[in-house]
Amino acid sequence: MTASASTSNVSGASLAAAPLRKQRGGGPARRGRGSGLADWVGVGPPLLLFLVFIIVPMIVAVVLSFASWNGLGSPKWVGFGNWTQFFHDPQAHSSLWITVKLVVFSYVVQTPISIGLGLFTAGKGRLKSIYAAIYILPMLISTVGVALMWESFLDPLLGPLQGHQAWLSNPGDALYAVTLIIAWQFIPFHTLLYAVGRRQIPAVLYEAARIDGANPVQMFFRVTLPQLRYTIITSGILMVVGALTYFDIIFVMTGGGPGTSTRVLSLDMYDQLFPANEFGYASVLAVILGVVGIAIASVMVKFSGFGKMQSQQEGVA
Amino acid sequence: MRRSRALAAVAIAAMTATGAAACSSASTSSSSSPTATSASSSPSSTPTASITAWIVTTASAGQPSPSDAAEKALATAFDSAHPGDTVNIQFVNNDNYKTQIANAMTAGNEPQIFWTWGGGPLQQDIAAGKVTPLATTSQVSSGSSYLSQFLPSSLGAVTVNGEVYGIPIQGTQPVYFFYNKKVFSQYGLSFPKTWAELLSDVSVFKSHGVAPISLAGGSTWPELMFLEYLADRIGGPSVADAIQSNKPDAWSNPAVTEALTDIQTLIKDGAFQTGYTTLQDNGTNDALVYTGKAAMQLMGDWDISSILGEDASFVSSGNLGMADFPTVAGGTGNPADLAGNTASYVAISTNATAAQKAVAEEFFQQELASSAYAKAQVAAGEVPVTSGASADFSGDLASYETQIYTDVRNAPNFQYSWDQATTPGVSAEMLTDLSKLFALSMTPAAMESDLNSYAAKDAASS
Repeated sequence: MTASASTSNVSGASLAAAPLRKQRGGGPARRGRGSGLADWVGVGPPLLLFLVFIIVPMIVAVVLSFASWNGLGSPKWVGFGNWTQFFHDPQAHSSLWITVKLVVFSYVVQTPISIGLGLFTAGKGRLKSIYAAIYILPMLISTVGVALMWESFLDPLLGPLQGHQAWLSNPGDALYAVTLIIAWQFIPFHTLLYAVGRRQIPAVLYEAARIDGANPVQMFFRVTLPQLRYTIITSGILMVVGALTYFDIIFVMTGGGPGTSTRVLSLDMYDQLFPANEFGYASVLAVILGVVGIAIASVMVKFSGFGKMQSQQEGVA
Repeated sequence: MRRSRALAAVAIAAMTATGAAACSSASTSSSSSPTATSASSSPSSTPTASITAWIVTTASAGQPSPSDAAEKALATAFDSAHPGDTVNIQFVNNDNYKTQIANAMTAGNEPQIFWTWGGGPLQQDIAAGKVTPLATTSQVSSGSSYLSQFLPSSLGAVTVNGEVYGIPIQGTQPVYFFYNKKVFSQYGLSFPKTWAELLSDVSVFKSHGVAPISLAGGSTWPELMFLEYLADRIGGPSVADAIQSNKPDAWSNPAVTEALTDIQTLIKDGAFQTGYTTLQDNGTNDALVYTGKAAMQLMGDWDISSILGEDASFVSSGNLGMADFPTVAGGTGNPADLAGNTASYVAISTNATAAQKAVAEEFFQQELASSAYAKAQVAAGEVPVTSGASADFSGDLASYETQIYTDVRNAPNFQYSWDQATTPGVSAEMLTDLSKLFALSMTPAAMESDLNSYAAKDAASS
């Protein structure tokens, strides 16, 4: 809709009706029209789903965290009792620490590999698209499928590695094994993000760098990485928040074991719910997970400038 | 342009709504909301009804089990004897069952008949008004109830405040060592009678590359069986009684400490197969024994039925050995004491219309309490807890069943599984700590002090 107002052949009435449009890219979207019915019809259902499936349960979790309830009968209000229990519960602290370890390891393992594979896949060449198809395969398998597959593969009794190190059965090794398997599952996704990000970098930037005499390493650090800034942030937020709340694969593979060596906070929450039937205390853990996730995401967005979305391509034609 | 944007918005809205509807209808759990058909034209004037029963399966590794078949036959027989009534049995997995039933009760859509192991969790359900009583204890002891035919000791776990809330199913289930006789004789060993002999047998098996004991540690409750028996052999029934009634410092009992230490000795001696901490009770643990890769497994007597389903020839060839838990030198417990499930039960929930309740009670009375079922149980390798059941034992399984029946009748004490007898909170903490102890990441002392404080808190808040 390019209704740029020109005074030459437009009457006064249509001038007033035509929407004004700011010409600067990246600025706030056009104003002056207001939200029409079409907008609400479009936003309504997702907003409703968001309210029902995300906001309402969060409120219920906060309310339940001040009660003690075993799922039958009615809840018993205990004020801050559950919260003080959290501060004295060594298992919860251990779970929190295991979760932190999982988040950090996941980021450290997945990001360099994803960047590397993403840049590789973004290059030209027929074979590269075949490689890309192969890398995508883990994404096509459901989480439970991935868990069962790796569990069988690593089975110390019947799997192909039998007789060797029992990765998932050793309290010392299990968390690392789980981190690597999660990495295997999600690296393809982040590889895609980086490949797409790389393809959007204009070639002129690299040409300019080559003219300036940059070698490939310098081009990577001075051109590629800065241009990939928002991709790195997006990928990073997804990775961190995802690892923070991850449940399914760990539940199926180890159930938090052996012992409690892979019992991340979300699993601890589950174990408080079933079989201990402590809805109140489990809600405390749920609220903490939610708050920490939101906090981390907010901090990462704010301090990385992601919210402002400043263009990285000033000056490019 | 405006119109196409409006159209697009409507399209998105429609797709989202359809998606939401599809998601919600696809994700309902097996619904068992009460549905009563209208009165049929059958001679009796009671309205007919359709009910659902959740029963824990003994099938493993995808093989059908004789127990499951016997239970299904009950439903079939009932349906044909009662036109218009239907009993739908849904077999559920053991390890997930507690979560599943708790979920269903919270949501209010539990089935009309549900499996229970009695004890602490059932008491919580009763307190919340979710279970229908079947008879009073005086009715049972006077002989006027159909429950009177069951051994009195078998109803203890489902009796609360003078009312009985469940009927036994799948018979009595004490825990024994099930072992591969061929593997033992291959190395010139007979089943150990004492703990010291067990430890020496462990080293013999290990030196020949056979896993001495198969353990499904991933499910954790198989680990509990070791603690239950050791505590009883060392210190007698009072050890478990104190723990189950949340007495202060019950876990600091020296018998418990010795039991936990003995367990860690067993682990350090390499008695369990590689990967014992994560192997779940999924049939692989049984397979290790009947294929000769492991020498023995400590398991409940339902294992007979499971192995029958997986490798019947192992049983019919007389290769399946069954032995009591060894004694411990210096222990005060009676070697004839048993641990395990005195029985498993099914109960009637209150999520039932009057018609459904009547059908459920008829099902209990006419099928579960029938002599036909007792015979079918015997054929499936179970030991019914009805008085006079021993007359039915015959065939390949006679020796096992006679021994179990005699042991149960004569046991000075039959300890109820600790994860059932305690409250759900203590049970969950106990199993978590036990799995850490078995993984050698928690010391006996740490486990005892943690459980003592947890039990104290649990007792204070109930």
